[in-house]
Amino acid sequence: MDVILNQYYLQIAIFVLLNAILGVSIYLTLATGQLSLGNAGFMSIGAYTCAILTVKAGLPIYLGIPIGGIAASFISIIIGFPALRLTGIYLAIATLGFGEVVRVIVLNLKVTNGALGISGIPTLGAKIGKALSALGFPHGVGGLTAQQTSNLMVLVVLLLCLSFLIFFCTRLNRSRVGRAFAAIKADESAAEAMGINTTYYKLLAFALGALIAGIAGGLSAHLTFFIGPKDFAYNRTVEILTFAVLGGSDLIIGPIVGALLLTLLPELLRSASEYRLMIYGALMVAMMAFRPQGLISEETVRFWKRKLGRGMKQ
Amino acid sequence: MKKSLSKWFTGMMIGTLLLTTAGCGGGAAPAANSNSQGESAKLGVVAYMSGGGAAYGQSQKEGLDLAKDEINAQGKIKIDLVYEDSRGNNTDAINAVNKLINKDNVVGLIGPTLSGEMFAAGPIANQSGVPIMGTSTTAEGVTDIGEFVFRNALPESSAVPQAVKKAVEKYNLKKVAVMYSSNNDWAVSGYKTMEKALQDNGVEIIATETFADKDTDFSAQLTKIASLKPDAVMVSSLYQEAALVLKKAREIGITVPFVGTNGFNSPELIKIAGQAAEGAIVASPWYPGKENEKIKKFVADYKAKYNKTPDQFAAQSYDALHIYAAALEKSGSTTDRQKLRDSLATIKDFEGVTGKFAFDDKRNPLMDATVLIVKDGQFTELK
Repeated sequence: MDVILNQYYLQIAIFVLLNAILGVSIYLTLATGQLSLGNAGFMSIGAYTCAILTVKAGLPIYLGIPIGGIAASFISIIIGFPALRLTGIYLAIATLGFGEVVRVIVLNLKVTNGALGISGIPTLGAKIGKALSALGFPHGVGGLTAQQTSNLMVLVVLLLCLSFLIFFCTRLNRSRVGRAFAAIKADESAAEAMGINTTYYKLLAFALGALIAGIAGGLSAHLTFFIGPKDFAYNRTVEILTFAVLGGSDLIIGPIVGALLLTLLPELLRSASEYRLMIYGALMVAMMAFRPQGLISEETVRFWKRKLGRGMKQ
Repeated sequence: MKKSLSKWFTGMMIGTLLLTTAGCGGGAAPAANSNSQGESAKLGVVAYMSGGGAAYGQSQKEGLDLAKDEINAQGKIKIDLVYEDSRGNNTDAINAVNKLINKDNVVGLIGPTLSGEMFAAGPIANQSGVPIMGTSTTAEGVTDIGEFVFRNALPESSAVPQAVKKAVEKYNLKKVAVMYSSNNDWAVSGYKTMEKALQDNGVEIIATETFADKDTDFSAQLTKIASLKPDAVMVSSLYQEAALVLKKAREIGITVPFVGTNGFNSPELIKIAGQAAEGAIVASPWYPGKENEKIKKFVADYKAKYNKTPDQFAAQSYDALHIYAAALEKSGSTTDRQKLRDSLATIKDFEGVTGKFAFDDKRNPLMDATVLIVKDGQFTELK
């Protein structure tokens, strides 16, 4: 039990879940076949909005995080109208540019404290710990230390967020909206000819992705205590994109598995010390060589279903 | 065929993962055992060892290794160092600190390299009650994180005013121009202390110009500054930009002294700027040319081991480990984190290679910087 509740493992689990939420955000835009690289930018808007609201205006965290998400999604609608006229690689470049614009604006604004970033952001864990002691559990629950309890609670909160998102996305896929997304992904012109309002649905997917990225940004600000413009540069976008590329973007589970693997790997490889990033890079290359469609595709699921189904019959 | 290949590969992937996990799980158990009755104190080091700033982390590691060998050879106390890479990244720094505290059960921490990383990882150490000492975290407010956070890096807020004061006295400065890199957190922080130091000394700032890291053209800013004829120019940036600023300034005929933040404090500045670096002034806690037995020995040992002159990062890390050793000796325990913190806080009159050292009540270093000026292609003390 002590091993599982080790702070270190809890912390990694928290980052895995945070990255999984980011994975869902890119999955949603990819669901309509659009390659948007603005996620780090939306994350940045969410994180800064939330951090400024909670640090400077004293708003509670549970209000700050959704407001950050909504702000990101609002901006995404404004830039979505012109940007979504572009497709493929052009959209990718436009959104990548958007991310850089956000970074430079953040760098030059006074309220974001420029390059110095915002430090001393109250942590989610500490807030939950305080709430717990107010409820009469000053030393944690059931023999756990206060720190373990608050970390576990953070984990539960993130797990709830992620489960809700998974539930939401699976429901979405079976709805009218989800089918429209799939149709646009398969063939945009055909979908339009079938009477699907492609602009509306593309914008919807874009705004949903931004909303989730913004919420993840707000969460990350309260998990890392410090945010600076460097944290949301384009390499963050690439990192988020690799979750979907490695895990596969057909199914929602793909980016989540991708996030899990890509967050765990660098930590697991710590024992390899200086070879760590080399092994990490080699694994990525091998992955792309052997499974360019990502680890989990619809075919993989069908394959395992068939196999397991046969196993049960025997 | 294709399917079987992919199946095979997935199997391999999972196999590798499981193996690595098993390896990690195995490593944790002995660590806990040795800690309960071990004689050597285990210290964790978080440094920027891969990526753009790897050179800093490398210097820090070299300084620490040298200090460790010395301390262990003396035999009064034994120290074990566990290194973790932070890649200059906040989440990685958090993970590294968490691992060192909870899996390796270290008694104290050194690092991380960057101030931003410290703002992210420091609170974790502070919450867990593990002393953490930054050796290169110079930004404002680092030790405000909590009472377990120390630093022996001379903060800009202490080094810069010393350089400014000396320059004002020496050259009788009345009006100066200021330039800084606005997209570098550390340079902005340096600019702010510079501005304050100038106000305190009653010097008028006649122009403030900004640029960005990796800029190579500074003619617009410098032409403007040249037309205002300041008594001196203050620059807050890393050495790459600082060197180019100096070069351009001398080219268009600005001959006044340049005062810099810690970014000036690198032999690279002289290498890149050449003749143009003459007259550049910086305050540094580290000056290898000082007449002092301790410094001479350190420089000689370092040269013998790594075949290069130690830089400031190496010197400060070297001192940090010696400070830890002194504190561990005083606390009399190699595992008690609270005792270590308390004895660290009382360290004073410590003689290190970066000078006489003590912690103030906010766990910042109290030490004098040496004000240096570039003369004949060499840093020499400005007297």
